[in-house]
This record gives sequence, C-alpha cells and structure tokens, in this order.
Amino acid sequence: MHIEHLLTFVTLGPAAGALILTLIPGRLERIQRWAALLISLVEFALSTLLWVNFNPDVAGFQLQTAKIPWIPQLGISYHLGIDGISLLLVLLTTLLIPVVILASWHSISEHVKAFHMSLLMLTTAMIGAFLALDVFLFYIFWELMLIPMYFIIGVWGGPRRIYAAVKFFIYTMVGSVLMLVGILYLAWFSHAQSHVWSFAYSDLLRAGHQLPMGHSFFSSPQMLVFAAFALAFAIKVPMFPFHTWLPDAHTEAPTGGSIILAGVLLKLGTYGFLRYNRVLFPAAWHAFVPLILTLAVIGILYGAWVALVQPDMKRLVAYSSVSHLGFVMLGLAAGTIASTQGAVLQMVNHGLSTGALFLLVGVLYERRHTRMIADFGGIAKVVPVYTGLFLLVTLSSIGLPGLNGFVGEFLILAGTWHRYPVAAILAAFGLIFGAIYMLWMVQRVFWNPFAHKENVSLKDVNLREVLAVAPLIIFIVWIGVHPTTFLSPMEAAVRSLLMH
Amino acid sequence: MPTQSDLLAVAPELVLIAGAGVLLILDAFLPKLRRIASELTLLTAVGAAWALLALPHQGLVWSGMMRADTLFVLVSLCLLVALFLCAWMAGPYLHRAGKETGEFYALLIFATAGAMIMAGSIDLLPLFLGLELLSIALYVLNAFFKDIDVSLEAGLKYFIVGAFAAAFTAYGIALLYGATATTNIEAMGRILAAGATVTPILIVGFAMVAGGMAFKLALFPFHGWAPDVYQGSPTPVTAFLSVVPKAAALIVLLRFATSFDLLHMGHSWIWAAGIVAVGSQTLGNIVAIVQRDIKRMLAYSGIAHMGYAMIGVIVAGTAGSTAVLIYIAAYTVMNIGAFSVIALMSENEAEPHLISDLAGQGWSRPLTSLALAICMFSLAGVPPFAGFAAKFFVFRSAVDQGLIWLAVLGVINSLISAFYYLRVVYTLYMRPLPRRVPDFLSSRAIGAVAGVSAALVVLIGLYPTWLLSAAHAAARFLVR
Repeated sequence: MHIEHLLTFVTLGPAAGALILTLIPGRLERIQRWAALLISLVEFALSTLLWVNFNPDVAGFQLQTAKIPWIPQLGISYHLGIDGISLLLVLLTTLLIPVVILASWHSISEHVKAFHMSLLMLTTAMIGAFLALDVFLFYIFWELMLIPMYFIIGVWGGPRRIYAAVKFFIYTMVGSVLMLVGILYLAWFSHAQSHVWSFAYSDLLRAGHQLPMGHSFFSSPQMLVFAAFALAFAIKVPMFPFHTWLPDAHTEAPTGGSIILAGVLLKLGTYGFLRYNRVLFPAAWHAFVPLILTLAVIGILYGAWVALVQPDMKRLVAYSSVSHLGFVMLGLAAGTIASTQGAVLQMVNHGLSTGALFLLVGVLYERRHTRMIADFGGIAKVVPVYTGLFLLVTLSSIGLPGLNGFVGEFLILAGTWHRYPVAAILAAFGLIFGAIYMLWMVQRVFWNPFAHKENVSLKDVNLREVLAVAPLIIFIVWIGVHPTTFLSPMEAAVRSLLMH
Repeated sequence: MPTQSDLLAVAPELVLIAGAGVLLILDAFLPKLRRIASELTLLTAVGAAWALLALPHQGLVWSGMMRADTLFVLVSLCLLVALFLCAWMAGPYLHRAGKETGEFYALLIFATAGAMIMAGSIDLLPLFLGLELLSIALYVLNAFFKDIDVSLEAGLKYFIVGAFAAAFTAYGIALLYGATATTNIEAMGRILAAGATVTPILIVGFAMVAGGMAFKLALFPFHGWAPDVYQGSPTPVTAFLSVVPKAAALIVLLRFATSFDLLHMGHSWIWAAGIVAVGSQTLGNIVAIVQRDIKRMLAYSGIAHMGYAMIGVIVAGTAGSTAVLIYIAAYTVMNIGAFSVIALMSENEAEPHLISDLAGQGWSRPLTSLALAICMFSLAGVPPFAGFAAKFFVFRSAVDQGLIWLAVLGVINSLISAFYYLRVVYTLYMRPLPRRVPDFLSSRAIGAVAGVSAALVVLIGLYPTWLLSAAHAAARFLVR
C-alpha cells in the first residue's frame, strides 16, 4: 500500500466494510456482529499507521492524498490530508467504533445488520469530515453524517425516538444549509479574485482572509459568511442556546448512538470552529470572540446547573456535555496556544470520559431497564467492579489530577486566564458545579442506603463490558499521566493555526 | 417541401409516432397482443433514443422554426427516459386493474412526442402544436380509469385548466406577433437586442405565454389543479405528468429568458419571477406538510421543486441554464422513482394512498423501500443524491449573479421540505408494521423501475460531472 493512499483507506474503509456486511444473510446476526467488530478493529489498526507515519514537526497537512478531480468544471476535487489536530480526532473516532459495537452486542437485537452498516457509514462520514481538504468534499461528508445518525436514533432508540431523530435532523440541517450558501459565496468571491474556480481549502482560506469586513454586521461579507459557518457548528457543538436538540437525541438514542454522538459528532462542531471559522475568517473571529466567550461561559454554568437537577442519568450526562463543550469553546475563543491545545485535548477527553459514562449507564439500563437515579441506591455492594469503573470515569470527567480531564481543563483555564481573567474565573465555578452534580449522582446511585429490592440480583460487569470500557480507561489514565504523548503531535499544527 | 435534414431532425418524433400508430392498430385488430403493449412502448422509446443519438443533427431546421442541437438531444433524452420508466411501470399496474390497452401507451407516446416538439421549437407555432399534442393526450390519460370518479375528476380538472392555459398561450402568441411581427423567439430576441422599444403589448403577450407555461409547471399562483389531478390520475400517468410537461415548459421559459435577456431587462422581471419562484416553494412546502396522501404530498412537493428550478430560469445565462437542465434530469429520475413505489400501493385511484400505509414496509420490503427512501432524501436535497446536486447548481448560479436572497430563501425552503420527506422515511423504517398489512402489489418490473431510478439518483449525486458537461454544452446553444 502506497503511503499516499493511507488516508483514503482509513476514510473509505468503513464504507467498504458496510458494503461487505450487505453480503452476509440477514439471519446470521452473530456473524454480522463479529464481522463488524473485525472491520472496526482493522480500521483502528489502519489509523494507528497514521500515528506511526505522522511527523509531529510539520505544521501543515501531511500524508496528503493525490488531488483527484471530482467536478473539475468547478475546481472540486477529492483531496484529503491530516494535521496534528485531526490526527487525534480521527484516532478517537476509530477507537470508539469497536467500543460502540461491543456496547451494542446485546442491546441491539433488531435489524442488526442495518445498525452496523449505519455505524460504519457514519464512521466514513465523520473521518472524511475531519480529513477533507476540499470544502465541498467536507460539506458532503458533513451532511452524510445526518442520514446514518437519523436511522440510529430513530430505529434503535427509545420511546420518543422518532421525535428525537427528526429534531436532530432538522436542527442540524438548519445550520448546514446556510453554511452551503456561505461556501458558495466564498467560492464565488475566490473566483472573482483569482478567476479560477476552486473549492480547495487553501484557496478558500486565501479568499476568506480577503473578504471585506465592512462597517456593520449586515454590510460585512466576512461577518455574514462567518455567521453562516458558525451557526452550523454552534448547533453541532452544541453551544447555548442551540443545545435543545441534544438532551432529546441523547436520551432517545441507543447506548452506542449516544457514545458516538457525544464522542465524535459534537467534536465536529468544535473542530469546524477551529478549522474553518478561526482560520478562514480571522478578522470576523476577533470581532466575535466576546460573543463566543459569553456563550461558552453561559454554556458551562447553565449545562452544569441543569445537569444537577436531572432525575435521569443519561440526561444528566447529556447536559454535562453542554458544560464540557463550553470549556472547549472557551479554550478556542481565548486563542492562546495553551488554551487551544487544551481545547483540542479536551475534545478527546470528553469523547473518552463521556463515551465511557454513556457506556456504563447503558450497562445498568440493560439490566434494570431504567436510568432513573431514584431507582438505584447503595448498589456499590452488589456491583463492586462496576462501581469502581464508574467512579474512575466520574473522576476523569470532573477533572481529578492524574486523569485526563484535569490536563485539558487546566490548560484551558491557564491559557484563558492571561487574556480573559473574568471568563476564566466564571468557568472555574463550572468545575466546582461539575464535581457537585457528578459526585451527587454517584452518591445517590452507589452509596446511599440500599433502597430497592430489585437491585439485589443486579449482575456485575461481564468480560465483554470490561473489554468495551478498557480501551477508554487506558487512554483516560495515559493522557492524565503523560499528556505530552498527545500534546506534542498537535503543537506545531496549533501554533501555525493561531498565526492566522 | 421538407429537406432531408428537416426529416432527420424530427426522426425521433417520427419513430415515436410510428410506434404509437402500430400500438393503436394492434389494439384494434390483434387484441391478443395487448399483453406486449408495454414492451412495444419500451422498444419505441429505445428506438427514438437511438434516432436521437445516432442520426446527425445540425442546427436550424424546418425553415428556422426548430433547433436540433445538444439542448434538444439532452432534454429529449430525459423525456424518453421518463416515457420508458413510466411505460415500464404501467404494465403491471394496468394488468392489476384489468385495463391493459394499447391506446394507453399510444397516448403516453404521443404526449412524449408533443413535449419533444415543444422543447425543440424556437418558433411559437410548432411550439403550440407540441403543447396541444402533449396536453390532449394527457387529458385522456388522466381520466383513463373512467369508471372511477376521482380519475374522471382529475381528467376534467386538467382539461379545463389546460384549456385556459392553452388559450392564454395562444392569445399571448398573437400579441407577441402583433408587437414584433414574428413568431420566432430568437428573432424577437434579436429585435429587442437591436433596441426596439418594449411596448405594453409585448409585455402582456410575454406574460400570457409565461402564464400558460406556469400552468403546466403548476407554479404559484397557477398551482390549484395539481393536488387533485395528481391524486386522481393513474399513478404511472401521475409520474409522467409530474415530469414531462414540466421539463418542456421549463425549456420554453428558458428560451424566452435567454433570448430576451430578461435578467438585464430591469427589476420587474426578477421581482415577478422571484415572487412566483419563492411563493411556489413556500406554499408547496408548507401545504405538503399537512398532507396525509402521498400523491397529494408529492403534488405540493412538485410545486415547490418547480419553484427551485425557476431560480435557474431567472438567472438564465450559461450557469442558470445548465442548472435548470441538471434539475430536469435529477427531478425526472427522483420523482419517477418515488411514484413507481407508490404504484405498488393500491389497486386504483379510488383508494387513498396514505403515507401511514407504508408503516414498517422498510423491513418487510427492503429493496423498494430503500429506493423510495433514497428518492425522498434526494427530493429533500440531502447529499449525496441527485436532488442535492440539482439544488447545488441552481443556488450556485443565483449566488454568482448576486441574487443571494433567492439562494437563501431557497435553502430555507428545502429545510422546511425535510419535514415531510422525512415523514415518509420514518414511516417506512421507524413505525411498526400494522396488524392488517396493506395489500401491496409485488412486481418485478416496477421494482426494477424503482431500482433503476434510485441508482440514477445516486449516480447523479455522487458523480454529476458527466451530466454537468452535457448540460453545459447544451446550455451554450441557448446563450449566444
């Protein structure tokens, strides 16, 4: 395999895997599961080759594929490349896919083949969106995420799944259709400047920098195009006040769907802010920083407060995501090297911790068919291993030193403090609230007096479940103990990105 | 006396009319051969396509009244694909209803020939003849199930509205002739370009012809007939009616828009056509949301789609014309694909085609349901399907001409449309099968139509380059 094809294999591999799955007859569900697991492990192995071949000293895009014309009349081509930032997010994605398949081993019992095909198509779309170096290609991958996720929520979800699936679809589309107009305008502007049609990231970057700023929002092409992109990403993150689809989608999605939604899909929003809004429109970005900072801080505090009062564990974790992603946006908006590195690391951290939390809540739900905190209490004695795992993940989520969450949050706050001390102080309160709602939930579920007889026969985690959560825990500890492994590959990329 | 090149230019139409004639004779004298009427129609369509592609075509023919060029070839190809797919699905459909007759197919073929004449004419007289051939054949087809009230109602409605539209068009042609002393659209364009004053008679004449076309396109505010006619006509006829007359009428409007250079004639055209376009999109999409019958829903969806296509007509020029041609091709395959699955749903038009009847079919009839789902996502404009490519090029042409408001209103409208297209998809896959499963037809032929259409939808969506090249080459014949 030639090295320049590696990114193509990583991106289109899962889609090819989905096609292979169609060949397996519908009755053979065990074989479908094993085949899907095998495909996802091969995919992970391929993505580790990215890590091996990646040169951390290079700032720009590496391992680029050849530029293959797709719609040459408009200068649209198939072109992929990776830098330190997308490297970490792609690895996070490929790590989570086998975890999702293991987590869905028993909980997905209907239309097994279709579930795994949707999951693999979704993987291709997510990785493609991280790696695309052509903005049109990015848009296609971005929209391609919609259909599989719509099915995952709507077919295998909870009682209100159709409502949640349609809400997810429409909300996401609200943002992306306006982004399409923004992309078209940018391409037109680029053509007007250079008289060559192109949708290449590098050409639109040049055009984005040259977009005039104007005097007010509505007379400023750069601000308007910025806003068109920002809306799409803000809904995906989700930033306050665009977050209302998230609790519904998470609550109704199956466990595997929630893991992938929280773990990767939301990161595409923050990634989009960094890769497109920050880099393409620096002048507009600086004009918008106060607004982004404000919304980020509101998100951190509001998400935490709402999480505090949730009776449903999954909904609680969903609102905690709003808070955690507020931290990521804070780090991006502050724009120092430390805060941006922290934000990128925190994207990975959130994927690991929240993914693990959804997985563990799913384990409990599979046994008791309830996620209400009030239905548990004192179960630490019955399920000690489970309790230990849950506690570890909780501590990672609230940022205990020595685990991953601490590193990310510390870098974000330290980096933000230099420029925006008030925002940093307010956000630090979010850390305290985060500890409160998570530990209070743990107390009510695991420690309080034993309240429900149904929980006596609760089974502890089995080998499959331990295997599913183990990779996440390994990285939770690894990032906490030795973050340099993960910070150094992205440093050059972050530095060059902040030069814009 | 027609020359050889005149005859060569209309060879595809001649093949069609010969095929239709054979079908009518068979019907009268060899009724046993009615069984193969559908196959004969497919053969006729393929023969016409061969005549279209293999025989040489050069420029102006019939004393400058028609133009046989790349544009004509591309549009005719879309029309023949539509004829082919509709005739293919009509076989099992008519067989179930016990209405197999040769005349049904003969009428379909005549209508296609009429649409091709319309698309090839640059003179308003043959254009009007084509329009009438198309319309009269369709009036009969709408009411083909003459013992069913809704079918009769559909035929009558389409006839009355169509007669009005034809009268409008004829009167408009007369006024245009009065104003310019010619019936040739390109000659009128040359007269205007030479600096002739734009008289009120010219404006009224053009408005009346455009209004006649808007009737055929079911554009707001001329859309009133569409839901009842769509619902009441036999489903293969609905599929045909939803694309063929619309493709021909769009080409006529494009010819006017490019020859008259309407975009640069002042703001009143942009405003008037813009209101019609955005009004069609908004009305179509909002009213479609509350429809429970899928054929009525697609009627409103069709109103909205012609609204998007109108954006391309407003922009005109090479980019706008290219976009409209791509839209015609994409819309043809995705709409016929959707209707082919609907043709399986009920025995005849006396029964409603409720969206809720599709519940759970996604898992019990996976292939046809997948085709329907693909067509729905495509109609909603989600990549990587043909509908996205079509909208992308239309909106791109608008942004390039600085008509960003048209693009923004267009994308907001496609967002609204996602509501009702998604309803079909979630009914298919996310609702349980009802206890009494509706008795849907199983037909390999109709399944094949759905499959071919869905495959074309994916092909155009993933790799629009070849279509773009063809449409671009065709559009250059419009704009000189």
